[in-house]
Amino acid sequence: MSYLATHIRVVGALLVREMATRFGSKPGGYIWALLDPAAHIFLMTLVFQAIARTPALGTSFALFFATGYIAFQFYQAMTSYLNSAVRANRALLSYPNVAPIDTVVARFVLQIGTTSLVAFIVLGAIIANMRVETSLHWPTILEAVAMACLFGLGVAMINCVLFLKYPLYEQVFNIVNRPLFLISGVFFLPDKIPAPYRDLVLVNPLVHIVMGFRKGFYPEYRAIGLDMNYLYGIAFLTLFAGMLVFTLSRKTLRNE
Amino acid sequence: MIRFEQATKYARTKGIKKPIIENASLTLNRGKSVGLLGRNGAGKSTLLRLIAGAIKLDSGRIIRRGKISWPLGFQGSFQGPMTGEQNVRFVARIYGIDTEKLIAYVEDFAELGPFFRAPVATYSSGMKARLAFGLSMGVNFDYYLVDEITAVGDSNFRKKCQAVFESKRQESDVIMVSHSTGTIRDYCDCGVVLEKGKLTYYEDVEDAIRAHDSNMKEN
Repeated sequence: MSYLATHIRVVGALLVREMATRFGSKPGGYIWALLDPAAHIFLMTLVFQAIARTPALGTSFALFFATGYIAFQFYQAMTSYLNSAVRANRALLSYPNVAPIDTVVARFVLQIGTTSLVAFIVLGAIIANMRVETSLHWPTILEAVAMACLFGLGVAMINCVLFLKYPLYEQVFNIVNRPLFLISGVFFLPDKIPAPYRDLVLVNPLVHIVMGFRKGFYPEYRAIGLDMNYLYGIAFLTLFAGMLVFTLSRKTLRNE
Repeated sequence: MIRFEQATKYARTKGIKKPIIENASLTLNRGKSVGLLGRNGAGKSTLLRLIAGAIKLDSGRIIRRGKISWPLGFQGSFQGPMTGEQNVRFVARIYGIDTEKLIAYVEDFAELGPFFRAPVATYSSGMKARLAFGLSMGVNFDYYLVDEITAVGDSNFRKKCQAVFESKRQESDVIMVSHSTGTIRDYCDCGVVLEKGKLTYYEDVEDAIRAHDSNMKEN
């Protein structure tokens, strides 16, 4: 019981520390965590509105991109922030009651909060300004978000260890991860891709996350190919692998 | 009380495997401050981290009775981008003690002036030492693990350390690593010499210093 109390206390202290220093050197501080994705969605909307006449779904470009981008961000922002959770807090690990997992949990909680806040503000503003009535299906939305976060957590826990052990892997991971944004169905609907290629696109679990998330905003969207069982399987398998690697690599994480 | 039971720890880096301690059994009782002596690179700092519980043994175990501090040295444990005050707050939170009281105590003790609210990365090693020392003295421990910290700082700081240790002595003990035998003599009652993975305990600190000196003469 006292173990749990210590962990909770440490995670709380780390949360405060992360919030104070994440954007500490820039004026505005934590506002940037919200402003950055909002600006990104706004610019993308402008660009695509100029290119195409109607979005692939519904009538609002802003809603189409925002739903895709934010679903993707629940995974992407999570991993890119959590990958360095242990490394960035190494000095603090010299306090015996700070465990490596505490740094991951603190960042996980903070990132869920941050992306959720972005989602509320950006999507809320878009929906409030739309002429057509939108009905949200919350269970579908929350399910996609939960899967994105858990999958991201699993990937990040593996990365925390492997980045420290194999610096080369970090380079490779970053290169492979960069085009992920383009192939995860943020800009397009996988449903409209012809058959043999569609199966290839659907291997990527992020595609299912984006589809599931969008389904909650567009009741008319059929999301052909969406396989929640596949998504659950991949997410929990990754999370389990992450926990295993993390637990077995205590020495690497503590820098012994 | 701190007891080592067949404790073994190897240091591993890039394929080199070197014993820090091998099958060491030793009991350190309450009420005595211990000076830890050993040659450069013998693993004294690692031993302190093991005692603190920041790292784990390869085999065997360490039984700890009492609250043990983190190893306080002048470089580790502080986050460079955080201010001195933020670092103090963090420690107060993770140990569950009154934040404002600890800040007041450390600010007074460390005498950093306006630098207390500047990032630790801008501190000199002497300033870091004062902050580290003040911070740990503000938290009540049964054992304070001190790693070379009195080696930095001016004579004023050293006097202050000695004074605060004197008052802590009533209920706390110190386990100290230092290359300066003079410092060990000033602070410690008994000694432990770490040589080639073996821990040898000496009831009298003078005997420990003598044993250490003769080890050093061997090569």
